Amino acid sequence: MFKHLFKLIWNKKKQNFLLMSEMLVSFLVIFAVFTLMVYYYNNYKRPVGLDYQNLWVVDYNNTYATKSTDSLNTYYENLRQTIKSMPQVKEVTFCSDNVPFSQNQWTGDTHYKNLALNSDNYVADDNYSKALNIKLVEGRWFSKADAVAKTQPVIINDELKANLFGNEDAIGKLVGTEDKKFNLRVIGVIRGLKAKGDYAPVRNAIYKRTDTGSYHSLGKMMISVTPDADAAFEGKLYKTLANYMKNSNIEIEHMSNKLKSTNLFYVVPMIVTLIVACFLVINVALGLFGVLWYNINKRRGEIGLRRAIGASGQSVSSQLVFESLILATLSLIIGTFFAVQFPLLNVFSLEARIYLVAMVLAIIFIYLLVFVCSLYPGKQAAAIFPAVALHEE
Amino acid sequence: MLKNYLKIAIAVLKRRKFFTFISLFGISFTLTILLVLTAFIDKVVGDNYPDKKRDRSLYVSRISMIGKGYTSSGPPSFYFLTHYAGTLKTPVKIAISSGFNGTNTYVNNKKIAVNYKYTNAEYWEVLEYNFLEGKAFNKQQVDNAEKVAVISKDMKNQYFGEATSVIGQYIEADNVKYRVIGVIENVPITSYMTYSDIYLPYTVAKDGGYKTNKDYQGGYFGILLANSKDDVDKMHDEYDQMIKRLPITDKNYDHIYSHADTYVKSYVDSGDEKHSGTFIAVTAISIFAFILMILPTLNLVNINITRIMERSSEIGVRKAFGASSRTLVYQFIVENIILTLLGGLIGVILSFIALQVINGANLIANLELTINFTVLLIGLLVCLIFGLLSGVYPAWRMSKLNVVTALKAQ
Repeated sequence: MFKHLFKLIWNKKKQNFLLMSEMLVSFLVIFAVFTLMVYYYNNYKRPVGLDYQNLWVVDYNNTYATKSTDSLNTYYENLRQTIKSMPQVKEVTFCSDNVPFSQNQWTGDTHYKNLALNSDNYVADDNYSKALNIKLVEGRWFSKADAVAKTQPVIINDELKANLFGNEDAIGKLVGTEDKKFNLRVIGVIRGLKAKGDYAPVRNAIYKRTDTGSYHSLGKMMISVTPDADAAFEGKLYKTLANYMKNSNIEIEHMSNKLKSTNLFYVVPMIVTLIVACFLVINVALGLFGVLWYNINKRRGEIGLRRAIGASGQSVSSQLVFESLILATLSLIIGTFFAVQFPLLNVFSLEARIYLVAMVLAIIFIYLLVFVCSLYPGKQAAAIFPAVALHEE
Repeated sequence: MLKNYLKIAIAVLKRRKFFTFISLFGISFTLTILLVLTAFIDKVVGDNYPDKKRDRSLYVSRISMIGKGYTSSGPPSFYFLTHYAGTLKTPVKIAISSGFNGTNTYVNNKKIAVNYKYTNAEYWEVLEYNFLEGKAFNKQQVDNAEKVAVISKDMKNQYFGEATSVIGQYIEADNVKYRVIGVIENVPITSYMTYSDIYLPYTVAKDGGYKTNKDYQGGYFGILLANSKDDVDKMHDEYDQMIKRLPITDKNYDHIYSHADTYVKSYVDSGDEKHSGTFIAVTAISIFAFILMILPTLNLVNINITRIMERSSEIGVRKAFGASSRTLVYQFIVENIILTLLGGLIGVILSFIALQVINGANLIANLELTINFTVLLIGLLVCLIFGLLSGVYPAWRMSKLNVVTALKAQ
């Protein structure tokens, strides 16, 4: 049966060649779209990792003119106490300017044995995990006692832990952020934050504790507030900050809004891609439908003959559907050959699993598309009366 | 002759309405997407409000320092723009402005997010903003560090509501009160070098970075204005010479790169010396357009072949009566072009609707997309290419048709 169908296809190879190339290109486009979707969905499934509701970010610049680190520390400690004493404020934390959902990024390699993995570097103080409500997987967050620790403590996220240590225990291991210098002791592992929004992956991350001189270079504060903190309170907080830091520009942003605008960077391209893909699919579907329909009309004589010597309508229509499905299979084999190159050559450094899922989905999609498009023409062919068809010949 | 072709074409289109619909659908939607894309690009890089003197301006938006294992790239500092770029001989004026930064202000317990930007006085001479009220600040006001502000129309509406004139009133931003002296027409945020809600004299900047920062990098943009169009190349070379002589102060770095580029080039500058931003942008857009066009083209070719083969008897008869292959190919291409132009017309109408919807959705504030003459011209060109691409192969197949088989088929 299949051999026979192949023969039929081969006899019209010139005509089928174009049809096949159209299916091939559609497969590649659909594969690309599904890869993007699977990748986004994969990221979306994971929790964000922090409580962004009722979390505010204050952007300031350190303009307090002093050379003395001690007086700078007192200056910011006083500020922290002032803000903390407000009834609506739950927690205050000072940190490096690469807060979650911002465009700022500090990256560097984290070294362990022979491994060097690109990771996000953060500077955070003791209250960071409480303010953001970060979940600890192992160990503990920084505390005051760490200020006098012999080796500088660091905290890593679960992503970096898995990549650096695999199944080994991470607590107590020495890592480094400079080449061949393993001088940082891991004291805790946290659940990874999706720092670039809902649709972005969790990147490797390493957190260092703020030390005595850190305030010189910090520029962001995160404040977690109670749900009843409104614009009036925000205005009051703003005045307090602006009056305390006279020479600084101050901006208060809400984490939930920042998340929304960060997500836009992912959602807008996704929507555009989907609209374009939808249009292409409709276009291809109509085209396939038209060509198949026409082909069947042209083969009335052949079909009439088959019906005349006893083939049922069912078998005629399934022959036509199978023919188009074989055509699809041929182009899918070629398409898969190209698609498989992506995980093999590790283009775009995505997990191979994502490509495979996308490939399977794309294959199913193309089969469905071809099947649906050939269903009606096939049915029409089944309705051909042998007497009428043969009479025309 | 052409009139005949036109008649035949329309007759053919009417005969197979379903195929006509598929063809027109493919052409018009592809064109719509391409037109929206070009309208967007045209607006983002082609719109010359407020920098109307773009043809004699060069933009300095980035300075990169590269060393072994270190790279640092960002906008230049005020110091660099005044002390190095400012001493060049060719530019007649140099507009300096900071990038826009955010702050808040609170009116009647309502929060307003404000973007502010510091500029020098020449900024207002190089760039031609449309002033709805008042005027810009001058050199004396900048030198005296007067707390004056030029605000955008959006800002005025948000802060003052429906007030008729706001000149002389005070606007509070960043905990400082500024006297409003001018209101300008909005600039979309995509023109990041000229966009802001509030424009302030650089001398009132709280952090004083214009005085204290003696590094090359520091968050300011510069626009160099040449006397005439002919001087632009000279200005570009002079700037490059100056960068080559620039002393390297930080021992971590061994090269400094910076260019005074045309608007488009500086807009897509990624700071990577080896891979130019223009190249990346053009490649990405071309690949997108290619993928977008290849499927509908293949589809059209398929449909066209089907249609032609249907007309084999007509072709056979014409051939039998002596029409040459060339005439037939010519006729078919003309027919196809008529079809694509028809699709193009629908496409233009569709894109007009699509642009209205996009503008209505207000995805990017103040970005008003319109179909303009260039975009239409591009659309027409795309249509013709489309028509040719999808018409040539089927026509060639048709001209190869044997008279005998063609006539026999019926």
